[in-house]
Amino acid sequence: MIRRCAAVGAFLVMALVLATPREASAQDASSFIATLGQQAIQVLGPGIPEVQRQARFRVLFHDDFDLPGIGQFVLGRYWRIATPQEQQDFLGLFQEYLVRAYSARLGQYGGEPFRVTGMRPNGAETIVTSEIVRRNGTPIEVDWYLIGHSPFKITDVYVAGVSMKVTQRDEFASVIQRNGGRVQALIAQLRQKLAAG
Amino acid sequence: MRVRRLPLILFGLLAAGLAVSGCAAPGASSAPGEAQGASAADDFNDPFEEANRGIFGFNHAVDASVFVPVAKTYRTVIPPPVRQSVHDFLQNLNGPVIFANDMLQGEIKLAGDTLARLLLNTTVGIGGVFDVGTMVGVPYHSNDLGITFAVWGFAAGPYIVVPVLGPSNPRDLAGRVGDGFGDPGNYFASAHNLLWAVIARTATSGIDERSRNIESLADIERTALDNYATIRSLYRQRREAQIRHEKSNLPNPSPVQGGDGAADPSLSYSIAK
Repeated sequence: MIRRCAAVGAFLVMALVLATPREASAQDASSFIATLGQQAIQVLGPGIPEVQRQARFRVLFHDDFDLPGIGQFVLGRYWRIATPQEQQDFLGLFQEYLVRAYSARLGQYGGEPFRVTGMRPNGAETIVTSEIVRRNGTPIEVDWYLIGHSPFKITDVYVAGVSMKVTQRDEFASVIQRNGGRVQALIAQLRQKLAAG
Repeated sequence: MRVRRLPLILFGLLAAGLAVSGCAAPGASSAPGEAQGASAADDFNDPFEEANRGIFGFNHAVDASVFVPVAKTYRTVIPPPVRQSVHDFLQNLNGPVIFANDMLQGEIKLAGDTLARLLLNTTVGIGGVFDVGTMVGVPYHSNDLGITFAVWGFAAGPYIVVPVLGPSNPRDLAGRVGDGFGDPGNYFASAHNLLWAVIARTATSGIDERSRNIESLADIERTALDNYATIRSLYRQRREAQIRHEKSNLPNPSPVQGGDGAADPSLSYSIAK
């Protein structure tokens, strides 16, 4: 009941980034996501130790996500007031934070059937729609926002209409705001969180 | 008999509130694309944040000490098929309210789905304990008066955290009240002095829903830097997504694998519960 934002479940990642013109054929983008989805579901599968899961997730994020773009978006207007050093620190910590947070949050979907359901252009981006079919329940809609073309990079993931990168930005903005607008405070909290394991 | 009805109605409201899923939103006007604007980054529409955080903390304590243990016990003790039937039954009870809101929003196709499900599940599904509708390809979708108000153009108002019930806003809270008044189950119970039935429905709905979200909420709490801010964001976005889908039946994306109805927009908010 309390705070039960149902469907809240999963959250992956995100980014702004004005993409290069996309010549990607539709089939390419969808097969990219189909492959990625299968990998992710396997990575997240039950019975895989947390450390190993995180390691695989780290590779997946690094290879397939537009992490700098996502990081910049997530810091929002604070990106501009951050010093180059802070930006650097933030991006490094953010990447690891994502690995930890989302391998845990997405863990519950591990091993469940995943299928690509469609695709449509969205400006310079391509949106690939997919769904995770839950064991007992209605399917969960997952939309992937892609830029570029071979390699594709994922800029955002919407789960049940909820944007991962917007969620993350809202949270980080709140942390900074409540600490006198200091980006350093967010960096400290990220560091602390990661140190705590 | 007025006096007797009041608690029934109150419980009905609570029931409706619990039934209506977990996410609603401020900023009725904020279009999806706007959310990306940097200027909007700090606009959480949360003028009562300190009070809200206090209530959030209280809710969390109640949740951790009462609801989660009960939900876990429920999941341990009751076998999955029974829990599924309980879930389907409760969902079916919400059918009339969902149908009414489908109609109020002018969503004739959805209203037809809801009506078909209600008839099928209540008869073939033996009073709703089996979700025959989903089996024959008419999946469940949620709907509520908060969404209807939004579709009609009412603004959400500020974000508020309601004791026990959790995230909301004036529009969604009003919607809950309205849905409670409109629920035939509550009328029936009221007319027959079946207060216990309303209480039982409320309690069971809460347990059912909480038992389905134990892990996801725990994971968010464990990994978030600011759990309150995360939940607030999720609630707003989820609610906006529900409203958006109602407003504009999104064009179907080009089917890659032969369609199979996968692009049905109703899928997208069927997971609201």
